[in-house]
Amino acid sequence: MSFKSSLATIVGRTTYWLLHDVLKRGGTSLPGKLAAKIDPQALQHMANQYDVIIVTGTNGKTLTTALITRVLREKYDNVITNPSGSNMMQGVIATMLSAKVKDVAEKTLVILEVDEANVAAVTQQLKPKAFVLTNIFRDQLDRYGEIYTTYEKILAGIRLVPEAMVIMNADSPVFMRGDLPNPKLYFGFNHLPATGDERAPLNTDGVLSPTDHTILSYRFRTYANQGFYFSHSDDFKRPVLDYAVTKINQLTPRFSNFDIDGETFQIEIGGLYNIYNALAAYTVGRWLGVEVSQIKHAFEANAQIFGRQEVIRVHDKEVTIVLIKNPVGTNQVLDMMKTDSEPFSLIALLNANYADGIDTSWIWDADFESLKTMGVQTVATGGERYRDLYVRLKMAGYGDHPYYPDLNDIVTAIDQMPTTHVYIAATYTAMLQLREKLAQQGFIAGGY
Amino acid sequence: MADYQLHAAHLYADLMNTYGDYGNLVALRYYAQQIGVDLDVSLVSIGDEFDDQQYDFVLFGGGQDYEEAIVAKDLPLKAAGIKRYIEADGPLLGVCGGFQLLGQYFLLADGTRIEGVGAMQHYTLNQPHNRFTGNVEIVNQETGQKYRGFENHQGRTFIADNQRPLGQVLKGKGNNGEDGGEGLIYKNVYGTYFHGPILTRNGNLALRLLEISLKRKYPAVDWSEKLKFVTPESF
Repeated sequence: MSFKSSLATIVGRTTYWLLHDVLKRGGTSLPGKLAAKIDPQALQHMANQYDVIIVTGTNGKTLTTALITRVLREKYDNVITNPSGSNMMQGVIATMLSAKVKDVAEKTLVILEVDEANVAAVTQQLKPKAFVLTNIFRDQLDRYGEIYTTYEKILAGIRLVPEAMVIMNADSPVFMRGDLPNPKLYFGFNHLPATGDERAPLNTDGVLSPTDHTILSYRFRTYANQGFYFSHSDDFKRPVLDYAVTKINQLTPRFSNFDIDGETFQIEIGGLYNIYNALAAYTVGRWLGVEVSQIKHAFEANAQIFGRQEVIRVHDKEVTIVLIKNPVGTNQVLDMMKTDSEPFSLIALLNANYADGIDTSWIWDADFESLKTMGVQTVATGGERYRDLYVRLKMAGYGDHPYYPDLNDIVTAIDQMPTTHVYIAATYTAMLQLREKLAQQGFIAGGY
Repeated sequence: MADYQLHAAHLYADLMNTYGDYGNLVALRYYAQQIGVDLDVSLVSIGDEFDDQQYDFVLFGGGQDYEEAIVAKDLPLKAAGIKRYIEADGPLLGVCGGFQLLGQYFLLADGTRIEGVGAMQHYTLNQPHNRFTGNVEIVNQETGQKYRGFENHQGRTFIADNQRPLGQVLKGKGNNGEDGGEGLIYKNVYGTYFHGPILTRNGNLALRLLEISLKRKYPAVDWSEKLKFVTPESF
């Protein structure tokens, strides 16, 4: 290690210690910033001490990273990960600096959630052992341009380490576009007989076959453009799966029960989409020799999963808070709500700051009509761009409904809902503001 | 069953619907229902013929470069029908890629020339390493109506003498960042770089297109009178 990089590491570690241990701040970004300033190659020099797994994709990065970390901790002593949200270069460096290595005999496993556009930069320095690819959907196209551009950014990183394992969601046809020399593991769903022949719904992206550019057909679909795809005009089809969900036993808003390769698992979070995340973690675990029983234990250990889907009590209401950020994610959240056996109502909050995506047009591609069709009677809208969402839900069949531009009124909004179960779906910065208001009014502990 | 029926075609809805373009049909249907008009929508995609006699409204939305190139290859199959429809005063809304493809050609970021329908004279050039992204506001010269939306395009489009802009840019870049125009109007064709759901935010424009469509199909009815009582959403 050069003097410069030793200095960078020391400054970074000291800053982290000052911020985190002395001042009790988060220290998720500044230490990395300082270390990178002194030596931009700082990470590279630390890299030798670690085995790195990068998790990337549009949706599910945070939960997949958390589940992989839990699964690997069943078998390995030294597993570290980056805190939710710190998925750009600086956050990654800060994570490495904050690591307390317990046992020097065994390499530390680092499970990193990495933003799609940062994969190449992080890979350059850390030379990961594996990449986990969740999915690619339309999201923040004002930053990335196209879903294929997003995938190209990820590929640019993977191509730097042709020996690294690529663990990918084979149900997503977008991932089959690149020709990678890397070894691969495929995960996906095999919960239905592969006998159908259907197309994805109109409003679905990424449905072209990469080989002959025809529109793909499906033996069955899970959601969006994912499932057992095939082409009618050539032999392009989903690759054979290494690990598969073989049965869906029960879906509720609070948990999902399913089989992977014939064994039953449960995760304490609703939504079919989260089963993909669990399946990714299962695949990584099996690849690294974690026993099935250990994975089961890791999934079922009942720890709260960081605010992405959180249940709180507000007076007599049971309120579920969920993050929404793009049409596919929103449709999945709506589908999750539909697994509720009780009547429920919805409060939807929209902001359009940089972290939310500054373009709000995506709300028109989310299927709010389906809630109306299934009989959900009451909705309310709010957030800085409440007007966009108000008109969206009005045209989805809800007509005039209450709206709350000021989130100080959010408890009033909840109180006025006619059902005990209330869902609040919010974009990222709206979620932060919501949590702040709820914390001020004593309904949740502070911080995010 | 409603008294009146409009039949819309959504061109390549499965490939060119990247930014909520479909919202335009949601908005049209929402207003149509208030005056007793049903709006049903057919998908017209790759390999399908375009029968110009069948439709009272056509939506041609925007897509990603890859999808747009695939669509361009299929367009010759529909070009004659689309031209007939346009020349017969058929109402059509072209958004972003759909707007570009109705014209002569456009150049992709990598220099590839994509041929359009050629139904109209406008053409589109690329601007390397730059996009026009952000909120946009324009004013329509004939009506004084203001339209608001969001633009996000790399292409720079130049319209011809027999076309006029949909509006003059008050805020944002518009067609090409040079001539102050945004979108185009030619007969009953409206083209725009407003992202996706332009009609959801600009109820007055939705009502204008709805009235044009209804007058063409049911000329004996006084649609202005009926539409007077409809409140357009505008924000």
